[in-house]
Amino acid sequence: MARRKKKQDEGMIEANLLPVMNIMFLLIPALLMAMEFASMAAINVSPPKFSSAPSEPQEEKKDQEKPLDLKVFIMEDGYRVEASGQQEGADAGKSADSGRPTIALAKPGAPLDDYERYDYKALEAKAKEYKTLFPNDTTVKVSAEANVHMQAIIATMDALAGSECKVGKLLTDEGHDEMAPKCFFWQPIIEGGAG
Amino acid sequence: MHDPNAAAEAAHKAFLAKKKAKAAARRQKEDEKAELGMTSLMDIVSILVIYLLKSYASDPVVINPTAGQKIPFSVADASIRDGIPVFVTVRGITFMDKKVVTMTNDGDVDPAMVQNHLIGPLFDAFQEETDKAKALSENRGTEWEGRLIVVGDQALKFSTLIDVLYTAGRAEFKEYTFCVIKQS
Repeated sequence: MARRKKKQDEGMIEANLLPVMNIMFLLIPALLMAMEFASMAAINVSPPKFSSAPSEPQEEKKDQEKPLDLKVFIMEDGYRVEASGQQEGADAGKSADSGRPTIALAKPGAPLDDYERYDYKALEAKAKEYKTLFPNDTTVKVSAEANVHMQAIIATMDALAGSECKVGKLLTDEGHDEMAPKCFFWQPIIEGGAG
Repeated sequence: MHDPNAAAEAAHKAFLAKKKAKAAARRQKEDEKAELGMTSLMDIVSILVIYLLKSYASDPVVINPTAGQKIPFSVADASIRDGIPVFVTVRGITFMDKKVVTMTNDGDVDPAMVQNHLIGPLFDAFQEETDKAKALSENRGTEWEGRLIVVGDQALKFSTLIDVLYTAGRAEFKEYTFCVIKQS
């Protein structure tokens, strides 16, 4: 009887958890500092291409044979959209009209740091229009005036890709078929000194 | 004749005696050791550590913006792949935890530092790092990917952005990624 009681007492020894707790409490602030609180994403862009002058008019070909070569120039007073070397909305006989944007500002007179000043919806509609004509094209050249802010450039890229486009999903085998019709021009090429 | 004062005194004496006996009994009893319940605390801390470890492990690159930096918002959802980050704000350019360029009050790079889109001090810092990264990749027997993660600022001017990208291109970076905050 006495032997059994002794055995029971030996079995009740508790593990000393204090050193483990000390390590755990040190780990918490270390991990908290390494943790990111806002979830980050990436927009992959192709290297900048520099051109000192606007592209020269190309030879007249049939519409189907022409490459789209979509270019969007972000100006302080709106967007200039150019496809196949021809600016949309330019005067007759001219390939480009630097004085007039293709898509005017949504908020005329708003300061440059008001990032809702550009008409992203109209640009997205324009991108959708071009995508139906050129379904295999995914690249777009993006350029801007020197003072245009990065947030406006990023929002423009979002509009050109399509607001419902999820590039991360598009690049997977499972999500490709679902995302392909929603993604327009999701491969931006940054171009400097153009326009 | 029954004396009410004597009765009250006797009751008081009885009460004191009882109190004394209780105190003596308490003194004789061994002090009980107060133990802290560690199991529940351990459970909470373990769950917290596992959650933090998981959120840490899921991101290959940890981006810690510099003070006052406002990273642009986007609907993009692609995850950030491994690369070298450069922090470009309206106050300066930070590369490998070192502020290599200080901007002017207008948020532009000092014109004395820029020559035909090339930012001199940034190019030197880039080249030093690319040489190291290339040597490391060579030793490992892998190809250097040359990916630059541009952590910009909402108010960063396009001209500055172009200069940074051009400088990176000259330092043999091949791929560029804009770091953005996912918009819900």
